[in-house]
Amino acid sequence: MTRRILHVDYSLCIGCETCEGVCDFIHGGRPNIKVYYTITGIPVPINCRHCEKAPCMDVCPAGAIYRDSDGAVIINPNKCIGCLMCLAACPFGVPTFDVKLKAVTKCDMCADRRRLGTAPACAEMCPAGAIFFGKPEEVEEKVRRRTAEKIARERLAAVNLEGVGRML
Amino acid sequence: MDEKLVPVVCPYCGVGCRLYIRSSDGHPLGIEYANDIPGISNENGKLCPKGNAVLEYVLARDRLKKPLKAKEQGKFVEISWSQAIKEVAERLKEYSKDDPNSMMFFGSAKTFNEPNYLIQKLARMLGTNNVDHCARLCHASTVSGLKAVFGAGAMTNTYRDIEEANVIFIIGHNFAETHPVGFRYVLKAKERGAKVIVADPRFTRTAWFADIYLQHYPGTDIALINGLIHVIIEERLYDEKFVRERCTGFDELAKTVEKFTPGYVEKITGVPADLIVQAARTFATGGKGVITWAMGITQHTHGHDNVRLLATLSAICGYQGREGCGVSPMRGQNNVQGACDLGVLPNVFPGYKAVSDPEGRKFFEEFWGTELSGEVGLTVIEAAHAIEKGKVRAYYVMGENPVISDANTNHVIKALHKLEFMVVQDIVPTPTMEFADIVLPAAAMLENEGSLTNTERRVQWSFQAINPPGEARPDWWIVSEIGKAAGFTGDGPKGFNYSGPEDILREVNACTPQYRGITPERLKANLAGIHWPCPSEDHPGTRVLYKERFLTSDGKAHLAAVEYRGPAETPDEDYPFLLTTVRYVGHYHTLTMTGRSRALVKRWPEPLAEIHPEDAERLGIKTGDWVKIVTRRGEYPIRAKVTRTVKKGVIAVPWHWGANVVTNDALDPVAKIPETKACACKVVKITEEEARELMKKVPPVIPEIEIVRG
Ligand code: SF4
Ligand code: SF4
Ligand code: SF4
Repeated sequence: MTRRILHVDYSLCIGCETCEGVCDFIHGGRPNIKVYYTITGIPVPINCRHCEKAPCMDVCPAGAIYRDSDGAVIINPNKCIGCLMCLAACPFGVPTFDVKLKAVTKCDMCADRRRLGTAPACAEMCPAGAIFFGKPEEVEEKVRRRTAEKIARERLAAVNLEGVGRML
Repeated sequence: MDEKLVPVVCPYCGVGCRLYIRSSDGHPLGIEYANDIPGISNENGKLCPKGNAVLEYVLARDRLKKPLKAKEQGKFVEISWSQAIKEVAERLKEYSKDDPNSMMFFGSAKTFNEPNYLIQKLARMLGTNNVDHCARLCHASTVSGLKAVFGAGAMTNTYRDIEEANVIFIIGHNFAETHPVGFRYVLKAKERGAKVIVADPRFTRTAWFADIYLQHYPGTDIALINGLIHVIIEERLYDEKFVRERCTGFDELAKTVEKFTPGYVEKITGVPADLIVQAARTFATGGKGVITWAMGITQHTHGHDNVRLLATLSAICGYQGREGCGVSPMRGQNNVQGACDLGVLPNVFPGYKAVSDPEGRKFFEEFWGTELSGEVGLTVIEAAHAIEKGKVRAYYVMGENPVISDANTNHVIKALHKLEFMVVQDIVPTPTMEFADIVLPAAAMLENEGSLTNTERRVQWSFQAINPPGEARPDWWIVSEIGKAAGFTGDGPKGFNYSGPEDILREVNACTPQYRGITPERLKANLAGIHWPCPSEDHPGTRVLYKERFLTSDGKAHLAAVEYRGPAETPDEDYPFLLTTVRYVGHYHTLTMTGRSRALVKRWPEPLAEIHPEDAERLGIKTGDWVKIVTRRGEYPIRAKVTRTVKKGVIAVPWHWGANVVTNDALDPVAKIPETKACACKVVKITEEEARELMKKVPPVIPEIEIVRG
């Protein structure tokens, strides 16, 4: 089992909604990632976090939610009874009731694409590179590197500007 | 089945992203990401929502499939190609004989270089320089402003230089939303520790990434930039050596900006004085700096001066002629740069040779083998005014939609009613077609091939991926057939005998110095394209302009000293708000393409007018309420969105759906660009019925055209 994680770095998102667009396209018009805007105009994409101790999985009375070999949390629509307990338990409000399917759906970390050996569509397309996909240590490495840059930038800003730029 | 993977260039914005179309026997099966081509402008094949939905508009149900002729206004009969060509050519010839300047030609930044070259050649061989395109409405001020300071009107650097910069000043440009894939380079620079300064009247998605954010009132750009220059000169942060050796006009500049102290500028722009000082210091001391702008700078009655000042700011800091530096005006359509380069402008021939310059004219007279006019032609907006005076009587519109795109729509419609003869060449019905006498169905970009020049002067070849519907034909074919039928049957450059776009590009190579080495063979072999200027076939192309000298007559940058001017119309008692126009990431231009894409319309179904919570409360407006925006020129119904992204007293309206019924067509005196970014308006709450009534008076963005039997 190769564990993979899908991580959205909110501080990088530019709100272009490409992720929502491509997810909509490959999931028949029902995107599993949605970009919300706060009143200050800041975009926040919300999708399944594929929690390690997934409350949705614990609470599901039908045992319809399981973890696949990459570590993605998946809902089996045939087993799902549509009780919405997962929605009640999910801290992010992710599971979506699909009236036609009579079941709950959500981000499946692009199961079809992973089967073909490609990365999830949103991660591959995000122009801002805000969605990371890979082995936990790879993703963590990226996140930490970014944090280091951020800290360095703040320290630089505290230094007097003279001497940083061109010598006059 | 013969399945192919065809490399194309995205038909939307000026970033010029590459992608593949998977097709079988000329039918599209889907898109594939070009993550295997190194050096392209969209690293790893990334696309924005529009690029991802690129096949949808091509497959629109209402694509034009046959040439049409109007029986009466808005009612058409189908005719054959030979009849259509003959009729257009004959009418144009008549006007040419009578008075060539009674014709006006529109090129298009939404089609390839080759047809653009041909349409200006046709206009000029018919005896007029009345040829222009939509750059007039977006970057005319960039072309004229940069030409005045540096000698040429193009981006001086490439995306790579944005990535390598230490400080990036983004002004009047919602980079993250208008060019999401290009914005990647800003983010990458930021990761490296670069500082980002954003100046915008709206707290845009771009502003969210700013280290320093300056929220000035729409139209107060001159004061803001003068303020920055004031601080830089006052604190001696400018590059003295560069100014001494490569610029002229510094003393006058210093004198003019003297009074633009941060305190004075704060009064005009509403930006706190200490932020202005901080921004100026950050920009000037960055060591490597880039300035990017778009419509927020150009679409003003002082657009030309805005651009000159930005170029001046860049030059005094010594941010020219080096990697990681420069100015980057971001083009909105994928071939604005190319259409400008190839002379689809009333004042210049291909390669920016002035029509009024006898030497340049002589070259083209010999090259095309005919006498040419040295009189500067009309611009898009001037042409609409000239119709009213009876001076212009015929329009040839290739891939343009003036009814929605021009400022002050009601005036444009009134003018179009008066035209004697209008040809519209396009891929789908547009509101402009309502007034056409002849409609020529064109192939969409993915259905034919040719070269395109993106915003960073990168010329790329896009291949044919699918077959056009019905009898739709490539733009280059249509224009060359009309040219031949009009009697221009000479050999080579002297006529219109072409067997394909390659022939045309070779002719461009021969007459346009910047494109000399950019041959069709090279472009086809090199998918990442070539940056002009490329003076010979073994030249690799040029990443950064002006390494040694500028293109002005004396080789120096002519710094601009500009007095403050605000917008032509400012709020008063009757019209207390300042209106500005904006756009959405999922839509493009006048919706002719994105409006026919289900995926995009689903996500961006309607425009919303942004209004500050305090203003909204005073007027009793909540998010979702209908309001009408009223200006001296018209009324526009729209739903409101209450948000803090705009300043108090400012209303922001997306323009795609036809908001130009209210905008101001006051022109910049030099660039002749209308001021669509700032005018006075009032906001009135209305009921849904009232909105529906008003809606009927606004031209529909996606009209149906009626085809009757002959
Ligand atoms: S594609 Fe990336 S940048 Fe765009 S909205 Fe989604 S997460 Fe944000
Ligand atoms: S649905 Fe919610 S609770 Fe379940 S894994 Fe996803 S984010 Fe976690
Ligand atoms: S991983 Fe796939 S299913 Fe999940 S949000 Fe991204 S695109 Fe949608």
